[in-house]
Amino acid sequence: MTIMTVSGHRYDLDSRSVEAALQGQLPEPIHEHFVVINGRRWPPKQVLALVTGLDRADFTTHQARRALTRLGFTAARAASPRGHHPVPLSAALPQPAVSGTAGRPESLVEALRPFVGLWVAVRGEEVLVAAPSAKEVVAWLAQHRQRAQSMFRVPDSGPAITGAAPQ
Amino acid sequence: MRFEFRALPAAGGGALTPRPVVDIALEGLADAPMECLLDTGALRTRMSAELAPLAGIELSGALTEEFYIGGLKTVGALARVNLTVADSTNEFSWDAPVWFCDPWPHPFGLAGLEGFLHHFLVTICAYDGYLDIEPQL
Repeated sequence: MTIMTVSGHRYDLDSRSVEAALQGQLPEPIHEHFVVINGRRWPPKQVLALVTGLDRADFTTHQARRALTRLGFTAARAASPRGHHPVPLSAALPQPAVSGTAGRPESLVEALRPFVGLWVAVRGEEVLVAAPSAKEVVAWLAQHRQRAQSMFRVPDSGPAITGAAPQ
Repeated sequence: MRFEFRALPAAGGGALTPRPVVDIALEGLADAPMECLLDTGALRTRMSAELAPLAGIELSGALTEEFYIGGLKTVGALARVNLTVADSTNEFSWDAPVWFCDPWPHPFGLAGLEGFLHHFLVTICAYDGYLDIEPQL
């Protein structure tokens, strides 16, 4: 356990209690900073608010980030910050490919790997959200006013896809 | 419009062979286009039935058919819906018959002859890993 003070309140926290607090939750859109917990990116303020029950106005992103890194979680800054407002279609979708070289398929593959068996919404190489059902993914997109490039379930077995086309 | 072949992680590690897919938005689900495998051998365009209620598509009383896919017996319900494909600069919508299937074993939809290929000139460049589609007006 690590004792820390947030907004004048003392908390005994460890990584397990943080992971437990996130059960059943979906990460909100990443604006700039994120922490990695259970293989997913989370906004630091969302995490600390869930863990402590505090209002997000009671602490800053940097305080949340510092508290979570003290517990051993990796923190980083997103390469291309996303706005909170809906992303225009022209900005949301990748530019057309130059023959055979555009995009890095392996990047999306690695981004999807933690979500095998889940429904995902992706935009370019970014996984916007992953959830057990398409309904939850669609609800998340609507709630956070995000537009995906594509939605699908990350296959959890070979037969899930090989019945439709030659391997 | 150009769509890159998409690779997915293999359950046992590594990556599956990139496949030709098109992201097709159902009317009512514009923010979540469904990945559909381009299936030149399929007569129908098919998707999971769980998408229909999310898009507000009513399937009660719809024409149904039983068929096997991927070794699984399933039932498809027919609905005529508006579909949209888009890239960074262009968007194209058309009305098409789509069969919403339950159960649906695949993690994507299938874009077949009816519903998709009838509406586009499709050029597949598997060597370079992309496909181009041009609406046939």
